[in-house]
Amino acid sequence: MINITIDGRKLQVPEGLTILEAARENGIEIPTLCYHEALEPYAACRLCVVELEREPKSQLVASCVYPCEEGAVVHTDSEMVRRSRRTTVELLMASSAHIPLIQELAAQMGIAEPRVRLESNDCILCGLCVRACKEIVGVSAISLVNRGVDKKVKPPFEIASRDCIGCSTCVFVCPTGAIKLEDIGEPKLVHHWASDFQVVQCRICGDHYLSPEPITDYERLFAEGA
Amino acid sequence: MRIKTLEDLEKAREIGTRSLYPSKTKIMVGMATCGLAAGAQQVYDALLDEIDKRELDVSLGQVGCIGWCCREPLVDVLVPGKPRITYGEMTAQKVPEVLEALARDEIAKELAIGRLDGDENLIEGTRRSYLAGGTGTTNTIPLYKELDLFKNQLRIVLRNCGFIDPKSIDEYIARGGYLALYNALTSLSPEEVIDEVAKSGLRGRGGAGFPTGLKWKLTRQAQGDVKYVICNADEGDPGAYMDRSVLEGDPHSVIEGMIIGAYAIGATEGYIYVRAEYPLAVEILTTAIQQAEEYGFLGENIFGSGMDFRIHISKGAGAFVCGEETALMASIEGRTGEPRPRPPFPSQSGLWGKPTNINNVETWANVPVIIARGGDWYHQFGTERSGGTKIFSVVGNINNTGLVEVPIGTSLGNIVFDIGGGIPKGKKFKAAQLGGPSGGCIPKEHLNVPIDYTTLQELGAIMGSGGMVICDDDTCMVELARFFLNFVQEESCGKCVPCRVGTKVMLEVLTRITEGQGQEGDIEYLIELGEEIKRSSLCGLGQTAPNPVLSTIRYFRDEYEAHIRDKRCPAGVCQDLVYAPCQNECPAGQNVPAYVSFIGEGRFEEALEVILDRNPFPSVCGRVCDHPCEAKCRRSQIDDPVAIRELERFAADYMAAEGIPSAIYDRLRAETDGQKPKVAIVGAGPAGLSCAYFLARLGYRPTVFEKLPVAGGMLAVGIPEYRLPKDVLNREVEFIEKMGVEIRTGVSVGEDVTIPELYQRGHEAIFIGVGAHRGRKLNIPGENLDGVVDAVDFLRAVALSGHRMWVGHRVAVVGGGNAAIDVARTALRLGADEVTIVYRRTRNEMPAQRSEIEDAVAEGIKLELLVTPAQVISQNGAIKGLECLRMRLGEFDRSGRRRPEPVEDSRFRLDVDMVISAIGQIPDTTPLLNGLGLELDRDGTIKVDKDGRTTVPYIFAGGDAVTGPATVIQAIAAGERAAVAIDQYLSKNNSKVYLWRETKSPDTPFDPEAEPVPYGRLETTKLAPDERQSGFAEVEEVCTRKAAVQEALRCLRCDYREEQAAEVPAETGVLALAEA
Repeated sequence: MINITIDGRKLQVPEGLTILEAARENGIEIPTLCYHEALEPYAACRLCVVELEREPKSQLVASCVYPCEEGAVVHTDSEMVRRSRRTTVELLMASSAHIPLIQELAAQMGIAEPRVRLESNDCILCGLCVRACKEIVGVSAISLVNRGVDKKVKPPFEIASRDCIGCSTCVFVCPTGAIKLEDIGEPKLVHHWASDFQVVQCRICGDHYLSPEPITDYERLFAEGA
Repeated sequence: MRIKTLEDLEKAREIGTRSLYPSKTKIMVGMATCGLAAGAQQVYDALLDEIDKRELDVSLGQVGCIGWCCREPLVDVLVPGKPRITYGEMTAQKVPEVLEALARDEIAKELAIGRLDGDENLIEGTRRSYLAGGTGTTNTIPLYKELDLFKNQLRIVLRNCGFIDPKSIDEYIARGGYLALYNALTSLSPEEVIDEVAKSGLRGRGGAGFPTGLKWKLTRQAQGDVKYVICNADEGDPGAYMDRSVLEGDPHSVIEGMIIGAYAIGATEGYIYVRAEYPLAVEILTTAIQQAEEYGFLGENIFGSGMDFRIHISKGAGAFVCGEETALMASIEGRTGEPRPRPPFPSQSGLWGKPTNINNVETWANVPVIIARGGDWYHQFGTERSGGTKIFSVVGNINNTGLVEVPIGTSLGNIVFDIGGGIPKGKKFKAAQLGGPSGGCIPKEHLNVPIDYTTLQELGAIMGSGGMVICDDDTCMVELARFFLNFVQEESCGKCVPCRVGTKVMLEVLTRITEGQGQEGDIEYLIELGEEIKRSSLCGLGQTAPNPVLSTIRYFRDEYEAHIRDKRCPAGVCQDLVYAPCQNECPAGQNVPAYVSFIGEGRFEEALEVILDRNPFPSVCGRVCDHPCEAKCRRSQIDDPVAIRELERFAADYMAAEGIPSAIYDRLRAETDGQKPKVAIVGAGPAGLSCAYFLARLGYRPTVFEKLPVAGGMLAVGIPEYRLPKDVLNREVEFIEKMGVEIRTGVSVGEDVTIPELYQRGHEAIFIGVGAHRGRKLNIPGENLDGVVDAVDFLRAVALSGHRMWVGHRVAVVGGGNAAIDVARTALRLGADEVTIVYRRTRNEMPAQRSEIEDAVAEGIKLELLVTPAQVISQNGAIKGLECLRMRLGEFDRSGRRRPEPVEDSRFRLDVDMVISAIGQIPDTTPLLNGLGLELDRDGTIKVDKDGRTTVPYIFAGGDAVTGPATVIQAIAAGERAAVAIDQYLSKNNSKVYLWRETKSPDTPFDPEAEPVPYGRLETTKLAPDERQSGFAEVEEVCTRKAAVQEALRCLRCDYREEQAAEVPAETGVLALAEA
């Protein structure tokens, strides 16, 4: 076990936990955007930064990846942390102030307007979709392409990927609604990535779609008793 | 050939030595990328051809770059028994000349730029003389160690660059190569190797400066069956190219360093991550690795030690972020080049999750020397906390551009001025940008700082990879920051929010500032955002990206403020804020392009009117202005600046001779309403008269009170007649009077009448422009003796007495400014036999105008430089001499100049009978200001805001009384600003538009497609020096009408904007030229 102090609370946590995991397990809330329990942490949104006491001065670390170290003293809501989070949210507002999730964060931090506005963008590049597609679905049909402000999520060469199975995991995991499905009439559906699929409706709720291909796969797997 | 033993190595060494120093003549061409870009391939081909044609028995070889970039392409000739000669700026056409000289057993002296009498083998600490068996050296070509660029260098990393053929492993071995590896593998344990590296004080040369020994130790101690070493050769900072130079000039030094490192760490595989934009480096490295494999330095059982090690080359696709170690490893692994958070650090979990040690090219290249000579030997160089040397690529506005390797701790001033040779074209050093886009700038105040990892960090810069961009005073620091931020913004990988969005937002703010759209609060926002980006970003790129912005704000905040508040770019760079650089630089904002182009059209009346619009003293300024406009003239990038001052004088003199048409007076008067309040002006110098002139144009009838019997202030009693004849001055004073100004001379305000009395008598506003008419004291014994005179007193007495003044036979003038030169030349004209100017710094640092110094020297005035007076010697009340001390230049002071320090036991005596002190003036404001309650600055000058408002609402001030001694044009500008402030005060209207402040392009034709006229700057005619001494006749003649028109056509019309194109009439300046 490792001894760590978070917000003045002395905690004992198992080795290998990140600060975020240790905090959440102990009921200390840290806001996140690019973090998902089911996915490898990515440390990109910087909303989960916490202050780690260090000599000669404290530093900010991303709690979603930073491991709990013996004797570490961590603050999740200090002035330094709040300033950083405010800046991050204000920067996200520059392009995505119209996204409800960002509006909610802005309201929490008391920011009315970003000081500079950039070209509007629904996507905040949290990378959840890309990681889900790779780590959960296992097909890597989409990835992050380009650099800097030109970075975006796209299938290879920006053409419909043959690896996409139309599972909609990306749509499900997207926190801003940037990834869309378009119903172009039964039983076809066009994916955000320009792939179109024959889809079937859920027999029970009638809401969810799945392309026939994975259904066949599942049926085969069930038949094999996997 | 596989090398297993020292004997094998010796054999290779013999082969290499024969090829390095053949028994016949050897010619070497510097063929690194920099040489090739300058044309080295053509030179090489020409050499090959000519040698063949002439059937010469010489060997022709290729070498890397020696770092003398400003003189490329370089060709070295080594004749056995003779010094090695370097020929610079070679072309194919110059090749025959070199070969013909060679055939005659001579040196082509015109082309030779340096020589070496031998070279040093740093690994073994030996020296080889080239002169053995020869007839000695030659003194006509300077030795490398006598050259500015090389004399203070210590070349450890660059030891072989420019000496060996990078494709010959034997030549590398001949200079001690792979000996360190042999020693390490056969007689040192890995721990001992790490100890030596730790002792050496070597820190990572990639920029962050992590102690190399410690890094190796951590990787060695890490658990893991497989470990890697990586060479980071992803050099990407704009302006930095030392790594490329090492890879292209001495690849084996890096490979040997990596093998030694791998041995110490326990790695079996190594990667060199080199950017694909360095194709020559990749090619040379590939060859070098092959050769090292053939010799058995790479592969299995190296030197029979049982160690196995291989090196692979991994080519990067050019993303700047891939220089960051975690992104670099991701790229080698074939993933997107994005950084990941640390911990875990590469030493624990690096490439493919294995313990990995990454160092950059320069760090690795140090290692063989450290092992060969020992850590202690290496650490004798550098500072206590950081051993050895660092290479800087010194680029930008500097005379000697090139690669410079110096001990860590060398001062910035040393690199810029001693090694770099200072700033070209007489411009001033403004700042050095260190560490590229991740670094910061260091201004002239810190030239003295020793360059070290920690000191640089304290100043807001970083060592970085060693890029050093030198900026002169033509650099806009806001634009510089914008340039670097644009770079990082484009190179940000885009993964984390602060770096991706934050740098973009900062760029937006900076862009709007440079476009004149800056807002109050922008500077504070940039600082706030910059600090947060540094704290919150994921990797080193974002954590350092705001540095150029933060450091330029720290040192040049006034420049940001000028952009935001005054919509002005002081350096004259930002296009949206600058009408033309000359106009931008003129304190009075004169519309130079307009009057120059009117002169080019023969429209002299309009030219004069344009000048008079901002300056009532065209004849005066046409003669004595220090013309800052010319220093900014873009024509100097082609040849020399346009003779702007001369053209101003021509327009004024020509129109004075023609007679100024009365219509001009009417047009200059913006308002004719005579019902304005009364305004009093104290002092009829340039500031006071300028203020009166502009008030008169606004309809006021100001009264000027002058203590002296003549009007003109310093123009009348400070500037001697040979520079500014009295009738010329009087003609402009009369012009101002005609505009509606009353001048009352012989009235001393403060004595005859006080300022409150003037106010009570109905002068609702009062302007003080009394000048600085009291000389500073020398503060040396004997200065109160008769015969020790102050410069301002002397010049005033000369002027008022009509040149009837006693001077000594041998006169010493102390000081280096314009007053000192004026006094010296005046003394000469009054009959002094010998005049000596005593100045404590060198001629370069003299504040006087260059042309004035040249004229003085031409007239026979002596300069005693680096000399300071210590005591005036007298006998029976008469002066017998001036005792002086010799000075030498010491450390840099905060003005960016070297501080003079006395040389011990250097007292000497100048045999003089008169001493004139000209070391500066201060305003003499008592009793004028007594009891007014005006706030003064510490030096006794009057405190005002930028428009001349004092702390008393109805009192305004400007000129030398505010600034201390300054230039005529500054005083004129201050007078104009105060006139506007007074009008705003009296009319209670702050939003009024003042027409002369709107600078418009003239309606003269201009063809932007036409080539600039090819001829050079006009030369003025001056009185011969021997004719000058007999009297006070004006030295410089006005140019002819034809010369003026021709000169005016040299203007490049920087004011021209594309939108104007439609308005251009068909006529061209050639017509006017034909008429002239």
